[in-house]
Amino acid sequence: MENTLRQKAKELLEKGDVKVVIGFGWNNRKTRTTPVFITKPEDADKLIFNPLCVNNLSLYLTRKFADIKALGKPAIVAKGCDIKTIAVLISESQLKREDVVILGMVCSGVVYKQELWKGVGTDFKSVPTDIMPTKCHNCDVRNPHIADVVVGEKTTFMPPDVPSGMVFDKIRELDKKSGAERWDFWIEHFNRCIKCYACRQICPLCYCERCIAEKNMPQWIETSAHLRGNLAWNLKRAMDLTGRCTFCGECERACPVNIPLNLVNQKLALVVRKAFEHRAGYDEKVHPPMIVFNMEDQEDFIK
Amino acid sequence: MANKLLKKENIGKLIEALNNEGSVFVAPTNPTSIPPLKKGDTGGFVVYAPVAKAEEIMFDYIIPRNSFKEFLFPQTEPIAAFTIGKEGVDMKGVEVNPKETVIFGSRPCDAASVASLRAVFNWDFKDEFYNRREDKAVVMTVACTKADDSCFCTTVNLTPDTPNGSDILLRETTDGYYAVEAITDKGKKFIERFANIFSSKPQAPSLQPIADVKPIAGIDVKKIKEWLKDTKHYENPLWQELARKCIGCGACTFACPTCHCFDIVDEGSAYEGERIKNWDACQFEFFTLHTSGYNPRDTQYKRWRNRFMCKFNFYPSKFSSRGCVGCGRCIRVCPVRLDITEVMEEISKL
Repeated sequence: MENTLRQKAKELLEKGDVKVVIGFGWNNRKTRTTPVFITKPEDADKLIFNPLCVNNLSLYLTRKFADIKALGKPAIVAKGCDIKTIAVLISESQLKREDVVILGMVCSGVVYKQELWKGVGTDFKSVPTDIMPTKCHNCDVRNPHIADVVVGEKTTFMPPDVPSGMVFDKIRELDKKSGAERWDFWIEHFNRCIKCYACRQICPLCYCERCIAEKNMPQWIETSAHLRGNLAWNLKRAMDLTGRCTFCGECERACPVNIPLNLVNQKLALVVRKAFEHRAGYDEKVHPPMIVFNMEDQEDFIK
Repeated sequence: MANKLLKKENIGKLIEALNNEGSVFVAPTNPTSIPPLKKGDTGGFVVYAPVAKAEEIMFDYIIPRNSFKEFLFPQTEPIAAFTIGKEGVDMKGVEVNPKETVIFGSRPCDAASVASLRAVFNWDFKDEFYNRREDKAVVMTVACTKADDSCFCTTVNLTPDTPNGSDILLRETTDGYYAVEAITDKGKKFIERFANIFSSKPQAPSLQPIADVKPIAGIDVKKIKEWLKDTKHYENPLWQELARKCIGCGACTFACPTCHCFDIVDEGSAYEGERIKNWDACQFEFFTLHTSGYNPRDTQYKRWRNRFMCKFNFYPSKFSSRGCVGCGRCIRVCPVRLDITEVMEEISKL
């Protein structure tokens, strides 16, 4: 699989079809994967793909990364879940389909966090299910759904009919609680926020040139890490992703204080799915429901 | 002065005695409200936080996720209060009277960072908010017997049992006690104050071996400093390459025990409010944005370069204390695994 990937990347760079391949490589000690930007054909051998390749690299296609854009046309190593985000970026006119070569990787699941890969060895053929995130358990795009090149042998994996896993279990559990109890739950978690904005910075769909958190005349969202400021920030972030979030889980992975952001995002995704029959990231030609006006829209979810 | 012994079962008594005096006892703990990383994993998230009883302390940990700087330099701290009336603005400073704060289970790297914070908060202006908190803090460090692959204290010339910055240094003994050594006067007085809790040690205790943290071969901190000092390297294209993947979040700076930048904001209504000091990060795009609209660090690599320069050039050039203590937190929390030691290696090669 890696050989095919490297070969393809090399070809693209040699022919000049792309100027940079955004992919995964090893760190110096070969213990963790990290994003790499390959610009020379001879460096294509640095590319790797295994269950430690957790990052959603589509982040680097956004305008937040002007110096990567300046390198020229990119090819990107993307898992199905990452491709979902690319689809949303295209539907939101952040890039054109022809502006990127998608090297779609057939995936058998990744780890929730790289540090969990301990003592599992270097045989990356399968991932222990208990260290796999909920998104992988329910993945219907292990065979990439939008790609220029598909790398890897087609998988027959079928996700369960009813979404399962920690995130969905927890949502169901929270749904059963009273409003006051849910409020307490979230207050406790948001209270921990340190306002490092890793959730925003790692999110490929947070591409505003100036985030509202940085608008200070007036200061819409207090920068203090007190409860008021933390709550305002986290609610704002969640609302902005409604109908857009593809459940890549990068915000939760990036959060240094373990705020369960997947619960917020996925809950909102479930609401959108019910209200608009929309699932983000499956078709780059379909606009997210929050940016289109439709007379048929239901409004019974507004309480 | 390693002449006392602290039994783990006496820590509860110490907490109780301190709490009765109105002091705060901070220790590595695993707040139960924090969800585990995965099923069955509870040890992944240890933080320095106030504890009320010994049972809350995590004794088996490598290093807490946060540094304890938040107890000396809180992330959000009101420094003044104001009212705006017909007669103008009335502003009153906040008098900070911190409680005594005992930081138990500090790691030697974290303790070493105290000198770095003190240096910057007393460089030209004496920051009373910091100084009074630090004066009231007692740092009880436990030497490391374990390390992980992000630890690099020995690379920056510290050790897993370095006493710098600690008031009291504890070393674990093979029979589950702590051998106690007072490092500062403050530490000595603290031990004397709780003479009933620290027992006399009859003979030389058998200490657990300290963690084996090998200096990363190929990193030369002196050489890095010299290279950074040479202004012609400032625009080296290497910077752009090395920091290309940086996403510009503040996880590294907020986790860092020596990062100390802050921002001042006013919060409140049109009639009254507070002036608040908040942590800020040089990695944020708007950190250096001028009122004119000009931003001298307009791309991410320039911001990353600044942080690296701060640690290994500006700081050691200006102060005698260090900019980096090798705790490895910036490596652990980085969402894109931008490993500071890999950059150090790269520059050492040049």
